[in-house]
Amino acid sequence: MRSYQEELKYLDRVSDHCWHIKKGFVDNMKVDGYFFANSHLEKLMFDELRQSCNNKGFGGFLPGMKQIANVAALPGIVGKSIGLPDVHSGYGFAIGNMAAFDMSNSKAVVSPGGVGFDINCGVRLLRTNLHRRDVEPLQEQLAQCLFDHIPVGVGSKGIIPMTAQNLEEALEMGVDWSLREGYAWAEDKEHCEEYGRMLQADPSKVSSRAKKRGLPQLGTLGAGNHYAEIQVVDEIYDQYAAKKMGIEFKDQVCVMIHSGSRGMGHQVATDALVAMEKAMKRDQIEVNDRQLACAHIQSNEGQDYLKGMAAAANYAWVNRTSMTFLSRQAFAKMFNTTPDDLDMHVIYDVSHNIAKVEEHFIDGKQKTLLVHRKGSTRAFPPHHPLIPVDYQLTGQPVLIGGTMGTCSYVLTGTEQGMMETFGTTCHGAGRALSRAKSRRNLDYTDVLNALNQKGISIRVASPKLVMEEAPESYKNVTDVVDTCHAAGISKKCIKLRPIAVIKG
Amino acid sequence: MFKRKLQALDFPDPSMFDIQDDGQFRSMVLWLEDQKIRHYKIEDRAGLRNFDSSNQWTSALQEYLTGLHCPYSTENRRSMLDWLLGYAVRLEYGDNAEKYSSVTPEKFLERQSQNTRQSSNPLENLDFNDPQFKAGVTSLSMMLKIPPHENHLEMLKAICLLVCEKFSPDAIAAISQASKSEDELIPLDQTALGFEAGDMIMTEVAKILRLLHIRDLRDLQTKINAAIVAVQAITANPKTDSRLGKVGR
Repeated sequence: MRSYQEELKYLDRVSDHCWHIKKGFVDNMKVDGYFFANSHLEKLMFDELRQSCNNKGFGGFLPGMKQIANVAALPGIVGKSIGLPDVHSGYGFAIGNMAAFDMSNSKAVVSPGGVGFDINCGVRLLRTNLHRRDVEPLQEQLAQCLFDHIPVGVGSKGIIPMTAQNLEEALEMGVDWSLREGYAWAEDKEHCEEYGRMLQADPSKVSSRAKKRGLPQLGTLGAGNHYAEIQVVDEIYDQYAAKKMGIEFKDQVCVMIHSGSRGMGHQVATDALVAMEKAMKRDQIEVNDRQLACAHIQSNEGQDYLKGMAAAANYAWVNRTSMTFLSRQAFAKMFNTTPDDLDMHVIYDVSHNIAKVEEHFIDGKQKTLLVHRKGSTRAFPPHHPLIPVDYQLTGQPVLIGGTMGTCSYVLTGTEQGMMETFGTTCHGAGRALSRAKSRRNLDYTDVLNALNQKGISIRVASPKLVMEEAPESYKNVTDVVDTCHAAGISKKCIKLRPIAVIKG
Repeated sequence: MFKRKLQALDFPDPSMFDIQDDGQFRSMVLWLEDQKIRHYKIEDRAGLRNFDSSNQWTSALQEYLTGLHCPYSTENRRSMLDWLLGYAVRLEYGDNAEKYSSVTPEKFLERQSQNTRQSSNPLENLDFNDPQFKAGVTSLSMMLKIPPHENHLEMLKAICLLVCEKFSPDAIAAISQASKSEDELIPLDQTALGFEAGDMIMTEVAKILRLLHIRDLRDLQTKINAAIVAVQAITANPKTDSRLGKVGR
């Protein structure tokens, strides 16, 4: 066990916003690690490392830096293991970690820990043509109406009738299912990552247990850090890009939905972890951390996971699309008009827990990679063939959800990000305190009062959650976003602030 | 052969005329004298009417041609008939000079456009390599400020595209709407190309091509959306049942 001072020898500052984790920081590192942080965020990172050293490795999670390095030791990783500014400890991979694996290398792996339990957790942003003034008098009623339409919390059930057959089709078709059934607008599809459907999805690779969990939950928000927010545009940094997204003026009202694949995705990940532990023994895959269970991409376990993951991802899109439908209904009801007249178009829909096959350039050579993004968001540059035609000139919109009561951001992808981080940027604030710690240190009435003072309406299913999700429990999202902007891996476009929050 | 002149003289079925056929040739000469030229009095035309005796008819024709001061003899049947037809056309024009001189190119086009509605495709009858046609294309392109291209047919394609995009009623309506949101335009030098194209001119060309490509993609995406909407009209039937809803803890 090395001391904190000894550990520091393996860490090098590359620039004001980037640190280098050298090989040897943990055993078997095949590539170097890098992480992005500004002075505030790096303090959190180093504190975490120091604490872990003082504890001699006992108690709590591995520090984020160690997790980034452990990922760099996985077989088949290419380039580097990257921690984004919002990185914090997670299961196996840190949340806010991205890593790419070479598809042509038979030893390369896929790891459910690199995707996360909430498969295709993501953020969707809808615009409206309303001004804050139009909403203010109705703010409380609107929050209640949204709360009535979108069931929240642990054990919630959705209001869209689903049969087992419907679910099978939804798992296979993603947004296309929603389109067919009429829950989505034709234009919604083009503004989703992957066009809202992963084609390799195979519902037969999803256990019946997972399906059983998923069936009643479609169209529900869930608990944890998930939310639906009514937001207003607080600041526009890039006028042209904002215009392309249909954001025309300050105080324009938007709706942000942050949710994922609910119990369904969780079950798919759990099932895969069990199957992969066996496969690791069989194929003699060595990893530094038991939580980094993985399988060769081409093995049956690897393929089954990717197909099941894709089906869960499709579920998440149907879920967000269903909540879009319900939000549109809620707004139409409150304003006595149609969603069409309110111009409630999807600006974009990002996934920040997903593994995808992508083409990237490594040392000038084009390679097919399996890119794991856990708590990190794809941010492709202008002219990339996989981004919607409307954003070809601006770069892909990246939706960064803040925490309850803090602001959210829309960024755009950059060429520099494509080269340095495989077209990846941050995903949100990232926890600073553990859930247990938040519960000990904070009082929920204080948190609610603080929100009230900011003029934010809130509806929650479980008040205890408010403490875990208080802004104090998270890193400052503005620090996170500013670091990404300064490092050039994405570009600030719009800042949003909430006026009403619906949470689990 | 002779078709246009015969048409001008209102000869019935001009395309069927065969100059090698003696019978037809003789009938033609007689028809011209009877209907158009009228050089002889009616009773003096008996010699030309005498089709049965070949020699007598030929000498009657020779005599007739001498009377008209035709420069061709009966041996050169083709040139002779052409002259005869030309002479008949001249007489016809003389009789109705006023009527014919009132025909202007505009009126002709107008009448032709009326005819186009009957014929399937009048453009098929156009001579695309006619110098006049080429000159027309060039002057059109100058008016529309389209850069020249060596192939005038390519030029014509460019003109067609431009006219459809800029001067169709839809396009004009769209422009008058778009003028309100003019600030959406972004200067070419502020758009990123995404790769190196060498010099400045090539970069600009590449950017323009990219923009055109994006426009085509948008067009395609719009068509895709329209197709989805068309299918939705048949399949979509979204339902909600609030009794199913349950808020968790």
